[in-house]
Amino acid sequence: MLIAEKVGKEWTMDQAPQYAIDHVANSKKNIFEFEFLNFLSEKISSFFGISPDSLFYIDLGITKHVFLLFFVSFIVVSSLVTLIQRYIAHKKNIPNKFMSIVEMFVIYLRDDVLKNFIGDKEYRSWAPLVYTIFFFVLFGNILGLIPIFDLTGLIGKVGYKAEMLGKDNILYLLSKGGHTVTANVNVTFAIATITFFAFIAAGIQKYGFIQHWKNLAPSGLPLPLYFIVVPIEFMGLFIRPLALTLRLAGNMMGGHIALIIFITFIFSATAELGGLAGFGIAPFSISLALGLTMLELLVAVIQAYVFALLTAVFIGMAIHVDH
Amino acid sequence: MNPLLTPELGTYVWSLVIFLTVLFVLKKYAWNPLLDFLEEREKDIAESLKMAESAKSDLEQIKDESEKILNEAKKEGKSIVGDSKLRAEESAAKILNDAKAKSNEFLDDAKSKIEIEKKRAIKEIKEEVVDLSLELATKVLQRNVKDDDNSKFIKSSLEAVKVDEAKS
Repeated sequence: MLIAEKVGKEWTMDQAPQYAIDHVANSKKNIFEFEFLNFLSEKISSFFGISPDSLFYIDLGITKHVFLLFFVSFIVVSSLVTLIQRYIAHKKNIPNKFMSIVEMFVIYLRDDVLKNFIGDKEYRSWAPLVYTIFFFVLFGNILGLIPIFDLTGLIGKVGYKAEMLGKDNILYLLSKGGHTVTANVNVTFAIATITFFAFIAAGIQKYGFIQHWKNLAPSGLPLPLYFIVVPIEFMGLFIRPLALTLRLAGNMMGGHIALIIFITFIFSATAELGGLAGFGIAPFSISLALGLTMLELLVAVIQAYVFALLTAVFIGMAIHVDH
Repeated sequence: MNPLLTPELGTYVWSLVIFLTVLFVLKKYAWNPLLDFLEEREKDIAESLKMAESAKSDLEQIKDESEKILNEAKKEGKSIVGDSKLRAEESAAKILNDAKAKSNEFLDDAKSKIEIEKKRAIKEIKEEVVDLSLELATKVLQRNVKDDDNSKFIKSSLEAVKVDEAKS
């Protein structure tokens, strides 16, 4: 009650959407300042002729999401390499709990996705990319669901006033939420870019540079149709990675915003109707959030799978043109 | 500009760099070793399955063979038993017959021997009887019997004996 009232006094209902968006969006400030990164950013940007005020200024500063990217990649690499290396070292050993989950995904993706869409022989050269996409996105999604950084937010809100920590404090910036890297369009667009170049590379590798671009449109059509088909196919080429980008980021964003909004019901009720109302709405709010978290867990796996699947499908389409 | 859709080229560049690094490291230390390992294991499994299959068929063959051998052995044993039974019966019959024949022979032999002995004994007894009666007569007649009386008596006695002999 005390907590709810304390939060309630700082809270007004119209803050909720902005609070949720702040939670998901990247921080505007860097959480760690490195002089050489600022220097590098300036150099690279001026090389491309981008002014610091521009929207496209290449700021290499360590923002919240960049920090989380490092965190996610560290977890992905360390856990997978340890698990797999340990598993391989003891050949007779039965895989442990985590390894059997990893193995299940690996074998499923290999047999049902890679071999199916890319081919029994060609799949080996593209398997690492598809696996890395799957596990990187999966870990990003799931780590975003663990509210470890939200606890710093709680400290900021309840223990001290967040403002007391100072706006430049790491805890303050982290408390502004948004801990899912895969909800950031820039991150998902980067992975989609790799998929984009991967399926172009797969086609060129198989058919050569010129033939690959010719494969874009089916041969044997009447000439006028080519004026329609070629632009459509060419647009499709760029729409594929864009769809990948927005699908993953949108799913993650939506889930987290909904989650935060459900939680803010408590604050809003407390602020508008008093502590008792906040206390009364809390069970509904929490159970909604709990249910949504379960759903998000499912979505985390599904979206990682879809991203990996579509990467495999696009590579397969480039290799098997007749499909 | 919506903060959720703001282009942040810095984040984009970092994502590319980090993702490619992760890809490189995982490819080298996780995916390729794991895929090799899985392939090897699957090959192993397939081979062991094949081996098990061949072992199974081998076993079946061996089983069939052993059954065949067993059946043959049984048959042979039966025939051996039957044979030996027959032979044993034969030899037993032979032995029995031989024994019977021999015993008959013995019996006949014994009978004839007994007959001979009997005859000899009777003859001996007769001679003994003659000697005894002679002795007896000599003793009785010692005092006054003359020689002719003596010889007469002997003759009559001998005749009596001859009659006795004929009777017997």
